[in-house]
Parts: sequence; C-alpha cells; structure tokens
Amino acid sequence: MRKDILLLIAGQFWKNVFKSKAIYLLMGIVVILLIYAAFSGMSYHDQNHFREDHQKMARESWEANPDKHPHRMAHFGTFAFRLKHPLSFFDFGIESFTGNAVFLEAHKQNMVNFSEASFSTSLLRFGELSMAMILSTILPLIIFFIGYRAIAAERENGTLKVLLTQGAKWNEILVGKSIGLWGIALLFTLPFFITTFIMLLIEGHTGTDEWMRLGLITTVYLTYTFIICLITISVSAASHSSKNALVILLGLWLLMIILLPRTSQALGAYFYETPTKLEFRAAIEEEVIQYGDSHDPNDPHFNHLRDSVLKVHNVNSVTELPFNYSGFVMSQGEKISTEIYNRHFNDLLDQYRRQNMLSRTLALINPYLAIKNLSMTLSGTDFETYVDFQKQAEDYRYNLAQTMNDLQMKYISAGVNSSEGKLNVVDRSEWKSFPDFKFNPITIGAALRYEFISIFSVILWLGISVLFLRYFSKNAKAI
Amino acid sequence: MYKYMFKQFLRTNTCKLGLFLVLILGVISISIGKQFLKGQERIGSHVTEKQLEHIQRNVELHSEDIGLLLYYLKFAVISEVSPLAALSIGQKDVNPSVQSVSILTLEGQKYDSDLVNPTKLLFGNLDLSFILLYVFPLLIIAFTFSLKSEEEETGTWRLVRIMSKSRLQFLLAKLSVRVILLLLAMCILFVLAGLILSIPFGMAFLAFFVTGLLYILFWFSLSFWIISLKRNSSFNALALLSIWLTLVVLLPATINNFVVTKYPVPEAFTTNIKQRDGYHQKWDTNKRETMEKFYARYPQFESYGYPPEEGFNWLWYYAMQYLGDEESSKESEMMRTKILQREQMSRKWGQFIPSIHTQLAFNDLANTSLSNHMYYLQYLNDFHEQTRLYFYPKIFSNVNGKEVDWSQFTPGYFSLSSKVNFRQIFLPLIILILIFFGLSLLNMRRESRVY
Repeated sequence: MRKDILLLIAGQFWKNVFKSKAIYLLMGIVVILLIYAAFSGMSYHDQNHFREDHQKMARESWEANPDKHPHRMAHFGTFAFRLKHPLSFFDFGIESFTGNAVFLEAHKQNMVNFSEASFSTSLLRFGELSMAMILSTILPLIIFFIGYRAIAAERENGTLKVLLTQGAKWNEILVGKSIGLWGIALLFTLPFFITTFIMLLIEGHTGTDEWMRLGLITTVYLTYTFIICLITISVSAASHSSKNALVILLGLWLLMIILLPRTSQALGAYFYETPTKLEFRAAIEEEVIQYGDSHDPNDPHFNHLRDSVLKVHNVNSVTELPFNYSGFVMSQGEKISTEIYNRHFNDLLDQYRRQNMLSRTLALINPYLAIKNLSMTLSGTDFETYVDFQKQAEDYRYNLAQTMNDLQMKYISAGVNSSEGKLNVVDRSEWKSFPDFKFNPITIGAALRYEFISIFSVILWLGISVLFLRYFSKNAKAI
Repeated sequence: MYKYMFKQFLRTNTCKLGLFLVLILGVISISIGKQFLKGQERIGSHVTEKQLEHIQRNVELHSEDIGLLLYYLKFAVISEVSPLAALSIGQKDVNPSVQSVSILTLEGQKYDSDLVNPTKLLFGNLDLSFILLYVFPLLIIAFTFSLKSEEEETGTWRLVRIMSKSRLQFLLAKLSVRVILLLLAMCILFVLAGLILSIPFGMAFLAFFVTGLLYILFWFSLSFWIISLKRNSSFNALALLSIWLTLVVLLPATINNFVVTKYPVPEAFTTNIKQRDGYHQKWDTNKRETMEKFYARYPQFESYGYPPEEGFNWLWYYAMQYLGDEESSKESEMMRTKILQREQMSRKWGQFIPSIHTQLAFNDLANTSLSNHMYYLQYLNDFHEQTRLYFYPKIFSNVNGKEVDWSQFTPGYFSLSSKVNFRQIFLPLIILILIFFGLSLLNMRRESRVY
C-alpha cells in the first residue's frame, strides 16, 4: 500500500462527503444532542449534592443523640446514600434502576430504596440520552449513512473502474476510504471526549483513577468507531448496489443494537428465575428461626448457649456475669443472621449474574454489547459497582450493630434487659467516635476484572473487521 | 391481480423474514408475560397462604402481650395484577404489587422496593407492547420504504403506468397487501396472548387491541406519506428510520431527561430520615408531650391517659411510632406531589408523540402505570390507619391476643377499575393517521396531474 495513494483516496472521500449539505445537518443534530446529554449528565450527577446533604443530615441527627442505651442506637441506625461516580455523567448505565438510599439498623438488612425508576413513568423505559448512548447507538447509524455509498456508488456510476485502471489497488481504495470515513467519524466522536475531559476537569476532585478511566473510555470508543467504519466499507464493497448496502447496514444496526440486546437480556432473565423480595426474606427467616429466636425466652438454642456461657464463667445466673448478657445474645444473633443473609444474598447476586451472562457472552458476536458493558464499567455505573455499594453498606451495618452490642456488654450492667429510660445508658461521646458511612468506589483494576469477555470481544472484532476488509479487497468486483 | 400481489410479496425474503421475526419475538414476549404473571400470582397466593400461619404462630408466642404481638405482625396488601399486565409490564416490575406492613411507622415501610436485577431493568422488558411499539413499525418501514421506488428502480413502473387504470389505486392495493399481512400477524399474536394468558375479553382488552391497531395504522400512513414524496429507496429508508429513531428513542429519552432534571425528588430522602427521627427521638423526650401530640390527632383515645415518665409502656410506644409518620408527613406529601408532577408532565408531552402516547395508554389499560402505583400507596395509607385504629384500643387496654378475631385478617386487596376513556386514547392517533394519509393522497394526486 502506498501512503500517498491512501491519503489521496481518503482526502477525496472526505471532500465528497462535505460537498453534500446533509453532513452539516447531521453535525448540527449531533452537537445539539451532545449539549443536551452533557447538561443532563451534569444535572444527574448534581444529585450527589442532595445525597451528601442527607448523609450529613442523618449523621448530625445520629451524633445529636443524648446518653442512651446502645441498643436504642442500634435501632436508631443510620443511612447510606449512594454517591454517583464522577464519570457517571458520561454513561448513566444502570444508575436509574438502582436504589439510592438504605436504612442501616440492627437485626435487619433493608432494601436499597428510592431508585429513579420508582419515581418514573414508562418514559424512562424508552432509554436515556447520555453521551455514551449517542456514541454507541446513534453514531454507528451516522457512520453507516455517511459511508454506505463509499464503494457501491462509485461502482454504480463507473468511477471505480476508472480508479482501478489508473493504477489504484483494491486494498488501497478500501483502506483509503476507511481512513477517510474514520476521519469523519472522529470529527463526530472527539467533541464528546473533549466535553467529558472539560467536565471532569471542572469537577475538581478528580484522581488518577478517573483519568485512567477516561483514557480507556476514549480508546474503547475510538476502536469501536474504527470497527464500524471498516464494516461499513466492507459492506459497501460487497453489495451490488448502494441501496443494498444501506439496507444491509440498517438491518445490522437494528439487529445488533435494538433487538439482540433486549432479547438476550430478557431471555437470560427468563431462564434464570429469581425470588421475589417476600420469598427471599421468607427463606432467610426460616433458616434463622431454625437456629433459634433470641427474642424467645424458651428457645432451646439460646438456652443452651446461656448454660454454656454460665458454665464457662462458673456462675449460676446471667446477672452474675462480668458483662451484659442480652448484649452478648444479640451479638451472637446478629452474627448468625448476617451470615445466613449474606449467603442468600450472594446466591441471589450469582443468579443475577447468570441472568446477565447471556447478553455478556453475546458480546462476542455483538461488539455493541461489549462497548456498552465496558463503558458502564469504566464510568462506574455498572452492576458490580452497585453490588459493591450494597456490600459496603451491609458491612457498615454489621459493624454498627456489633459495636453497639459491644458497648452494651461493656457498659450496661449484667442483668439489665430493658433499653428504655435514662438509667442504663452509655455516654454520648461514643456515638461521635463511631465513624460515618463512606462509600469507596472500586478501583479501575477491580472493576475490569469482570469485563474480560468485553475486552476480548473488542480486540476480536477489530481483527474480524480488518479481515473482512482484506477479504473484500481480494474478492470485490469493479462492476 | 390482487391475489398475484399477495403471492408476489409473500415470496420476497423481506416478507418471510419479517413475519417470521415478529411472530417469534411475539411468542417470546407472550411467554415472558406469562412468566411475569405467574410470578405475580405466586406472590399473591404465597402471602395469602402465609399470612394466617404467620399470625397464628405469633399469637401462640405472644398472646399475653398484645403490644409485642402487634410489633411482630405484618399485614399484606395486594395490588391486583390484571392479565393485561403481561402484555405491558410497565412499572410493575419496579414497583412491588405486594407490601407487608406492620402497624409501626408506615413511611419507613411503604416505599420498600422489590428485588430486581437492575441490568434486566436497564435493557427493558420484552413484552408485547415492545413488539408493537418498536418491532412493528420497523417491519412497516422494511415492507413499504420501496413500495413505489422499487418499481421505478427496476423499471417496472412504466409497465404499471401503462397497464393499470390508476397508479394511485395500484399503490394503495400494494400497500393494503402489507397492511393486511401485518394486521394478520398482530391478530395472531393477540389471539395467542388471549388464549395463553387467559385474558378475559372485555373493554380493556378490546381497547388495548384497538390502540395497537391504530398505532400500526399510524405508521403505515406515515410511511405512505414518505413514499408519496417520490424520492428514491435509500432516501425513504433513511428518512423513515430517522423518524423511527426520533419517535421511539430520541424524543422519549429527551423528555425523560427533562422531567428527571426538572423534578428531582430529594424529599424521598428527607422523608426517610424524618420518619426515623420523628419516632426515635421520642425515646429521649418527655412522654407526656408525645402523648399530647398523639391525642391531638386521635382524641378518641385520650381516656387512656398519660403513662408514668419512668418505664416502658405500649401506649406510649405506639404513639411514638405514629409520630414518625406524622412528623414526616409534610415531606412525604411533597414527594408525592413531585412524582405526580412527573407523571403529568410525561402525559402532557406524550399526547403529541404517538410512541409515548401508546405506551402510556397500554400501561393505563394494563394497570401498570406509575399513577396506578400512587393510588396503591394511597390505599396502603388508608389500610394502615384502619388497621391501627382497630388495634389501638386493644393494645391500650391490653386485651389478650387470643380474643381477637384473626380470621378477618386476610390480605388487603387493592384493585383499580377505571373507565376506559376511548376518546382520549384513540383520538390523537386517529388525527395523525388522517393527517398523514390525507397528505399522501394530496401528493399522489399532484403527481398524477403532472403526467
């Protein structure tokens, strides 16, 4: 391949495209969409202010508690508000469907509630307009539109033959056109990353992790557009007429981007059924009851526990123990029920992962899915990042409950059962010294652990599309 | 001639592939709907079955202490799931149709979400409404974009001009072949859905069907209008697909972003914190004050008097719990208002956009809309208050748990039977159909005058 010929062909393609007015119209539309998506992303991300404010409000109210029985504090509990990742303005991911606030108290793992979806009409189900959505969904269509005629039309009006007789080789024509098309695609793509870059800069508290994520997002999307360009040119070279090329490309778009993702996810969910909240809770409750009910004074398990504790300390009744017995019982109960809950919860998550597996695996035949998954993960708006939040919140809850139980064992006199009143209390300074919940999002390395298939798919498709182009540069016909 | 047109079209790959695709997807969507419905029925019968058992078990344990008993007891309220929900799942997968609530503070319980895989929600449900809203228009586009231009591009248009009496009639006949085939496919899917999901044939089902029918006719009229502009196939395909993209992806997404940005709901968080503080902080304050606030709302219980400041007391406990609701009621109301504003705003814009309009109409008919859930929450409020008021005197006078007639406590049942407003649902679609069809006829007429 000769470099100057390639550039000549690319430049010629570029010039041709800009001859028509349609390209300016398209650019105008994309710019408007970009601005709108950027504004939406910013205002979505601004919801963090509400969350930070409420986290503070909940904390102030926690710290304002007077001297109290620690078990009252265990029930007073606190909240965890989910903060959005700095890059969430780029790709909204599953954020609108995940809960945003969870009440953390002893004995009970509450639901993460108040998802955006629960406040929304079905309008949300049509999809959301984010920068990532425009790049992954709309941009391929635009590339198809600009490129479908690239080879087919030249063949139709005979200029292709002229080009070939003038000494250009097939592979030079195809690669040249691909470069030209990619150049135009970059014109559409780059503003998105410049915007994201600036927004991240304005954000302020951005670390290396975020910059690395942005770098990878950019790489991934540039590769994606390159793959799309190669496919467009290949299809254009392989089709009898430009109309055929267009129909094939539009069909591909519909299949890969609209129909396949939804169908595969729905089928995944169809084959792996998940329990409803009531069934889930009932299963856990059943198992916990089998262990014993710490609130039931005649429960065999806890009676046995009491007897063995009395024996170890060589005393006859719980009032003689060196610590508060009901605090001890509750810490045991909390430990058992949390273990059971976590096991069920992990099973549930695995079932969800199985549901997602079909569409994740299909990324191998559908680069769109690979990009979608990677983009969500890199923007911190994917399933695993959310799971991580839930786990951090649960760990904090457990820690809170057990800290209160420890305080109870340590400071409340041995035989006291009631948590009411001002008599059996712990100093309020303890509340302050228990730290507030703070969400630490997983690092990029940990996040990408789940994305091997997607990364592999992008590389695979880069290879496949190059092979396509090579194949057609050997087998294409001039007329 | 007409028969020949059918045969000719049926032989094309587009037709075979398209009809195959829509029927397969349709059947999948109905199976998914069936699974959804079965799941909902399962929860319904599960709670109905378990509730009495749950009550009995706790009565056995705590009948001596009815205050403690009611602390544990939960009462389910089931929101009716119409079989049509299987065709248009709407918001039913996000908003649970069963809540089990105790007579403690309600605000801390009623927004409890269901367990759902968020990734599944993101990709969306594959229900029949999706097939009707997304896939049918795509087939209409694929079947019609070269209705006339293919004749021109293959050179048969001249023959048509010579041989047929009226070119318009020829095109209309060709169009009607496609209309009939797609409506037939739609009818097959509806019959299948009716049989598999045992949907009772009533007004709602009929209205659902007609809405789908009108939506499809709208797309045909739109497509016909683009054809009547006399451009080439590529232009038609691009124009129609761009319109499709705008109507079912871009506009709804744009409006949704707008609604979310305009009406954020931080009140939900505030309500959540306030209901907790409203109750919990009463543990540390004067008992008499708490009781006074409670009696201000429920003076009928004032005769139970004021408990001593020292020691635990159920009367005081339930008064505290109630105050959790009362002290968060302002924020809760604001939250409700915000959500209803979102709903109104969506509807306001939706009536001009056939895709949104149709989806909202489907959800309304299937009782799966956001507003349906808001009515359910309202019902839950009333149910909760009634249950409280029933038990308060029993708790306050410490009746033995065995003396209560528990058999009446089967789950509460919420069902919304709203009248179908045919004009509101059908009129916007009919107007659009007439406009686009009229425009196409005008364009076609103009053409025949030129020749």
